[in-house]
Amino acid sequence: MTQQAASTQKLQVFSRGLALALSLGLSLASAQSARQSTLVIGGDFSDLITMDPGVSYEFSGSLVAGNLYDTLVIYEGNDLKTLKPRLASSWTVTPTATGSRITFKLRDAKFSTGRPVTSADVIYSLTRVIALKTPSSFLLTDVANITAKSLSAPDAKTVVMDIPKTANPNIVLALLTFNVGGVIDSTEAKAHEVKGDFGTAWLKDHSAGSGPFMLNRWDRSAQVALDVNPNAFRKSPSIKRVILRYMTESAVQQSSLNSGEIDVAWNYTPDAFKAAQNDPKLKALKTDTFMLSYLGMNSAKGMPFEDARVREAVRYAIDQDGMIDSLLQGLGRKTQTIIPIGLAGSDPKIYYPNNVAKAKELMKAAGKADGFSVDFLVSTGSCSGGVPCQDLAAKIQADLAKIGIKANIKQMVNSELYTTYRAQKAPLIQADWSPDYPDADGNGTPLSDYAAKSLAWRNGWDNAAAGKLAQTAAIETNATKRLAQYKQLTALLAKDGPYAILYQPYKPVVLQAGISGFNRNANGDVQFEKISKK
Amino acid sequence: MLTYILRRLALMVLVLWGVTLGAFLISHALPSDPAAAAMGNNAREEQLADFRERNGLNKPLATQYVIYMGQLLRGDMGTSLRTQNGIVNDLRAFFPATLELTLVAVLFALLIGLPLGVIAALYQGRPPDLLARTFALLGGATPVYWLAILALTLFHERLGWLPGPGRLDVYSLAPPTHTGLVLVDSLLARDPAVFWDALRHLMLPALVLGAYSAALLTRMTRSALLEVLSQDYIRTARSKGLTPARVIAKHAIRNAALPVLTVLGSLFGSLLTGAVLTETIFSWPGIGGYATTSAISLDFPAVMGVTLIAGLAYSVVNLLVDLAYGFFDPRISFS
Repeated sequence: MTQQAASTQKLQVFSRGLALALSLGLSLASAQSARQSTLVIGGDFSDLITMDPGVSYEFSGSLVAGNLYDTLVIYEGNDLKTLKPRLASSWTVTPTATGSRITFKLRDAKFSTGRPVTSADVIYSLTRVIALKTPSSFLLTDVANITAKSLSAPDAKTVVMDIPKTANPNIVLALLTFNVGGVIDSTEAKAHEVKGDFGTAWLKDHSAGSGPFMLNRWDRSAQVALDVNPNAFRKSPSIKRVILRYMTESAVQQSSLNSGEIDVAWNYTPDAFKAAQNDPKLKALKTDTFMLSYLGMNSAKGMPFEDARVREAVRYAIDQDGMIDSLLQGLGRKTQTIIPIGLAGSDPKIYYPNNVAKAKELMKAAGKADGFSVDFLVSTGSCSGGVPCQDLAAKIQADLAKIGIKANIKQMVNSELYTTYRAQKAPLIQADWSPDYPDADGNGTPLSDYAAKSLAWRNGWDNAAAGKLAQTAAIETNATKRLAQYKQLTALLAKDGPYAILYQPYKPVVLQAGISGFNRNANGDVQFEKISKK
Repeated sequence: MLTYILRRLALMVLVLWGVTLGAFLISHALPSDPAAAAMGNNAREEQLADFRERNGLNKPLATQYVIYMGQLLRGDMGTSLRTQNGIVNDLRAFFPATLELTLVAVLFALLIGLPLGVIAALYQGRPPDLLARTFALLGGATPVYWLAILALTLFHERLGWLPGPGRLDVYSLAPPTHTGLVLVDSLLARDPAVFWDALRHLMLPALVLGAYSAALLTRMTRSALLEVLSQDYIRTARSKGLTPARVIAKHAIRNAALPVLTVLGSLFGSLLTGAVLTETIFSWPGIGGYATTSAISLDFPAVMGVTLIAGLAYSVVNLLVDLAYGFFDPRISFS
């Protein structure tokens, strides 16, 4: 071999080596940048059953749908009282002879498929929900009172919705912020239709929306991967991919957060949350919810809580502060009326401070000075705020014992618990309620109106005045008048109702300190596109 | 032998039919309403009625069973009440993950349990035996839940030797699904990086799941071997001048294999269906988690599907074990 040939060969070897090193370096760098631009959330997402915004009715499903699809209007961030434009750039509400008419003007937006969002897509999306009778379709049919005939499109960018007098346009707008109002690319859905299913089977694990993300892949019970939608008008500046990683156990989420495998942990227990608050590497957020944890007292004839004074005694006997401070480690707020803090109509007044002496007086006045024994139905799992239900039940049992009520705890799996409750057969129950849409009526009607066959009915509490008030307030369009009606209703329920409100839980979310822009609102929405990672 | 297998297969069909009937009656005896469980706490009464109608839950129980069996004979296990997916599809998605985990767990159990048992028997009463028996005791008595959390905290969080929960790293892309076994699929896709990742993810859960079985196998192997070693033919073999190693390998182990095999068969069956806790903690997307969620949400068709596949797994493993008897002991005939 000549010297020249040898040196050429050396050069070749060197350049190959350099190329390899460079490519390795690049792939390492790209792996590094993949980590930088991927947000990993670990949590219990076992309630996820579909990605279809019209069908999904579960917390995790709504969380994902909110990032895959856009609704006409939306509540942004933590302000759940001011309606903001989303796909509709503007809207007007005008009274008509039969009720009111809402006219939406659509903005220029594109689906992830590249097609423009038109009024035909909006109408298709809403009518398919009505036709499919999905778990959330009653919001459109029963609450908003709309049918396929109520919707029309004068042009490609205008949607007209006619609603009858029996529905409140403000409530209709509020419930359109929920994923039931998510707009689907109708051309895409129709292309995947099987036996008239409006593409439901396909949309279960595919996406065709205009949201900031699109579905890459859903490995059932393992993870959901969302990729950025290049056509979206809500742009994500730094996150390119979001992964929801299934991790049921809080202990496992802790371990994965500590090892840096996940960026956000979704389900922490109060104790673990307290520890995270003192860890400088983590951010521990108490995020709002509209949930209420309450005691339901069966007030039907012949039931132990038939006498209003006994129900009031229970409310005075419950030590809410002790429950929130020690059991929940602060992961709950004190409230005593049926409309959660954060919704217009919520009442901050403390109606029944913890007062055992007063409670005993009331028991005596009701002729139950010696107390009584009652079955106390409790779920087997974890209660809102992450506290084990049995711990909560034991605390309530101890509080009630002070006024002579012997509560016999009966633990049941949720399905059995709610079957009993629905059959009006639960004498005393610890349960949760979360409104279906962010409006006082989401609690007002089910908790007050016996005829609505919901909570008031399950607790055998038939109060004509409360039912009437709830119905009037639901359709009142004057905001001031409406607030006054809810004030009256909440006061009535606080005095006479079949509930002892225990607390309004926070949902604990723990993140790596380097995550910014994370916000989870009381509806459970997180705008992934606003998050960035250091 | 063929007649024997056919007879056993026929018997298996009968057993599985019994399983469907039992599972159907038990799951419908619960005082809970599947419609309410599927539609949630807030659902209205009309919604529940509609759900019952659509899913045939308002028909008489006997009619429901006849419809179910009719579907089953056509290879359709029905539709999940909770997810509205076909049960067959669900099982196809979740079962391979459990099978893969169980196979590796059994492999670990064999690799640990058999040698330990042999050593314990050979050194009966001496320190190696004591150590092996301590392991057997601990392995049998430690709750899986606790062991899993401990292993995860130590090897993943503290030492960082092994990856955390899940079948693959968050940043790994799963290989195209052929068999559902990631180890096999990654090899088919010629993706060694994913294979290595999947193997590392399997280590902790398989060790945790296999620990109990390893302990049981150690004990079984030890006692079976001790019994064999006291037999006359072993003395004869020894007196013929065979080395101890040959005596063990040629005469003892083969004869001690039968009881061990029986235990192994039932272990494999129970692991396959009993991996619930391990799967929960390691976020393993297997049949265990699916069964739990389905049972909690009163998803009868899904519970039936899981029960059937569990019954099938048990029956098949039992058959294989029985057939293996013949291999280890030619005196056993299948006529």
